Amino acid sequence: MAIHMNRRTMLALAAAGAVSLATPLAAQDTALRLAFIPQENPEKLLGDIEAISGWLASEIGVPVEGFVTIDHAAAVEALRNGDADISFIGALPFVLAEAEIGAVPLLSEVYRDAPSYTGRIFVRRDSGIGALADLRGRDIAFADPISESGYLYPLAEFVEARLIDGPGAAEAFFGRVFFAGGYQQAMQAMAEGLVDAAGASQYADLLLTPQQQAQVTWIAESPPIPSHVVIARPGLDAEVQDRFTNAMLRLNEPENRDKLRYLYGPDGYVRADPAAYDGVRDMARRYGLLE
Amino acid sequence: MIQKFLGAFIVALASALVLSGPVAATPAKEAPWLPEAAAYRLTLFLGNLEPLPWDDVGTAWAEPYRGSEFSVGALAWLDGNSDIGPAPLLDAITREDRQAVFAEATRLIARRIDEELDRAVMADDPARAQQAVRTARELYRSFADGIAAADPDASRRIGLAWLELNSSTGSAGVLGAGATPASRKTMEAAREVISLYLAENYLVDDFAPRRTLSALPETVVLSGRTIEVPPSLPPGSDIFDQDPLPRLVLNFEEQGIDETDLPLVAYGDMLFDSAQIFGNPAQGLGVACSTCHNRSDVNQRLFIPGASHQPGAIDVDGAFFNPIFNDRRDDPIDIPSLRGLRFTGPYGRDGRFASLRDFTRNVIVNEFGGDEPTPFMLDALLAYMLEFDFLPNSMLTPDGQLTEAAPEAAQRGEAIFNTPFAALGDRSCSSCHVPDTNFLDRQAHDIGSVALAYDGARTGAMDTPTLLGTVYTAPYFHDGSLPTLAAVVDWFDESKSLGLTGAERADLTAYLETVGAADEPYEAFDAENTAFRLAFSELTTFASTLDTLLPQRDAKHILLLTDTVAADLSADASTMSNLAARPEVYALAQRLAEVGDAVRTDDWVAAETSWTAFKSEADAIEERAF
Repeated sequence: MAIHMNRRTMLALAAAGAVSLATPLAAQDTALRLAFIPQENPEKLLGDIEAISGWLASEIGVPVEGFVTIDHAAAVEALRNGDADISFIGALPFVLAEAEIGAVPLLSEVYRDAPSYTGRIFVRRDSGIGALADLRGRDIAFADPISESGYLYPLAEFVEARLIDGPGAAEAFFGRVFFAGGYQQAMQAMAEGLVDAAGASQYADLLLTPQQQAQVTWIAESPPIPSHVVIARPGLDAEVQDRFTNAMLRLNEPENRDKLRYLYGPDGYVRADPAAYDGVRDMARRYGLLE
Repeated sequence: MIQKFLGAFIVALASALVLSGPVAATPAKEAPWLPEAAAYRLTLFLGNLEPLPWDDVGTAWAEPYRGSEFSVGALAWLDGNSDIGPAPLLDAITREDRQAVFAEATRLIARRIDEELDRAVMADDPARAQQAVRTARELYRSFADGIAAADPDASRRIGLAWLELNSSTGSAGVLGAGATPASRKTMEAAREVISLYLAENYLVDDFAPRRTLSALPETVVLSGRTIEVPPSLPPGSDIFDQDPLPRLVLNFEEQGIDETDLPLVAYGDMLFDSAQIFGNPAQGLGVACSTCHNRSDVNQRLFIPGASHQPGAIDVDGAFFNPIFNDRRDDPIDIPSLRGLRFTGPYGRDGRFASLRDFTRNVIVNEFGGDEPTPFMLDALLAYMLEFDFLPNSMLTPDGQLTEAAPEAAQRGEAIFNTPFAALGDRSCSSCHVPDTNFLDRQAHDIGSVALAYDGARTGAMDTPTLLGTVYTAPYFHDGSLPTLAAVVDWFDESKSLGLTGAERADLTAYLETVGAADEPYEAFDAENTAFRLAFSELTTFASTLDTLLPQRDAKHILLLTDTVAADLSADASTMSNLAARPEVYALAQRLAEVGDAVRTDDWVAAETSWTAFKSEADAIEERAF
């Protein structure tokens, strides 16, 4: 779904339920501001933000406001310039934000019992492609150049297989390398035969139709990648961080689980383990994104 | 019966597909449509109906489509996001000029795509360029199936252009890290590919007259080639299964008889879930008997714009499914439950068919444009449908009396139910809804619920419906005009001047709600009895009829089975929670397809071999996966 932010970018939403039911916090006299990365329908996301912000406000004891940024970069930028206190973001943007502005990881998303997932190289079953080496001279679509599961990790599998020397040498191995704009676009391009392979999240084939899912398979899988993360700007009051984190963890409780659908639909949250992102930091260095 | 609702669980299926064929029975949840693209697709769909519902066409542009995630309709959306004015289109709608509406709407969408492409090329940062590309591509979805069907080369060329365009927008990186510049030259070249095709095919000053409105490119229409665009449903359609899923009560099953020992019933079960017995568009859309009557009950969510006036209703003799059967009357009916079917004849809301066999043939051949079914197919369908039982209800005795478990209000209501009223000709509710014959009398009565078709018409009689299980089949009456059982009581009290007090109405409603209740109305899923496991069990049961059909060398009915079940099995694998086990199910589906392939080449030995392998592999999956 297209993202129409031309009037909506950085549109702040005062939480409908900002009236606090919990003990007010003296340390946070202004609203806690949450930056959300866009999803398929910005209008729906705005409604979701309103719902979750209201609930969080009542749980934390401070007003909560949420807004949608145009992309990951803008979400990080909002943390840096103080427009946001908290951001929901991918692992790669997090490690870059951590290095640049000292962003703090608070929570990791959980899918299917794990706070991690993988990237895969998908091909059509009838393509005759059975190994990464078979893709020499063929075309591939990735999701986005700043995507861990939709570019960095899948491409690294070719490096591991010694098919390419490094991230900068992909063009020499493949016929064409496209950035399709997202998992779904990359997978569709592969399923429709526009390209020979797609690099995307392990769950990306679920974005295809049931019939297409039966027609595709995967030939390589990356090591686990930490899932998306909720991060805070440096200097955010420690008690506010705690209250926010504890409130988010209460989303795992049965009576609150229905609210997870307002937050990109994970199965739950766990406290973020900073060490879990070492692999992403290494990967970012290999790609020259971190020093 | 396969659970078509499973498709609804596909998480965030954001694919740019339309609800279209060729498909198996598991429909895919489609991505939301942009408002103006949705209005365009609705216009094409509604524009092919006869009589053309002009009010609906106007609504399609003025209001969000049903289920839209956007809060505004196309006109308001355009007002806020585009410089393109809709005045020529609105004028054409006002004039009820079908061809002009098609032309103006088509040009509007094409211009919108160009407008977004302009924004992409002019954008001063990658994020905004990508946003505009995404929007343009979502709008292109309006035409995509027409181009793919008619001009595969162009479809591929444009598909690559979208990839090229998005790739060349560059990336802002994160805080400067990983930033790559845009390639304007490449962007403009890719954009040119798309815009040139639009100019030749969708920005045409004078479109050729269209007998059928579609997204086919103008150059292809002018060539005179006959192109079949896969059937599709417009935005706002819903052919997913009910959620929660109704419990299916089959007489033989309750007695502990295995369906695999009843091959005629099992084959009928398969046919009930097969779109193959219908013609297009139903077949291509995956519409089967169970789409409306899943689990022998009512699909209360089914909705097709132009054919449904509300969820759970459908006009089966309208223009869409079988034009030759179009009665040119806008008369959708509330879908009836099939529970207890062998006790509920005559059939049809007005009881027009005394024979269930005749009724079933009419559904297949006339309502949904299928080929003439064989006697075996009708025998099988009837054998299956006659096993549908009512939901057990411990508050009712077998002869329709309340048990002690019934609430007091219902006991009081029972007395009212059995009380003769002068206004009813000294008859009571129970005169027609006879308790000891499943609360019906197998007759049609004109109770004044049907508007007269013409002066002097005697066409208002409707078949008395059972009251059993009705708590779960709202709304009520043939047209679904009454939302609750309480509303039904109010309708009778007011229209028949029964003079009931408020308390009496409440008691009578309590009685209806007690009679219409069930001990276990819904299928209970848990970690063991998963939705996929139920589907897997049903599909392998369908396949078991090959033990009967293969020795008989009954190629026609074998192929109907393998074509249906192999596709369904493969599609339902997408709903498995154990994703790693999907390849095994795909392989199993392929094994069944191989049975069909062998039968097509008259290689019965190979067919038997594949069937034996299927059974063995299915057993192994059953043991391992569950």
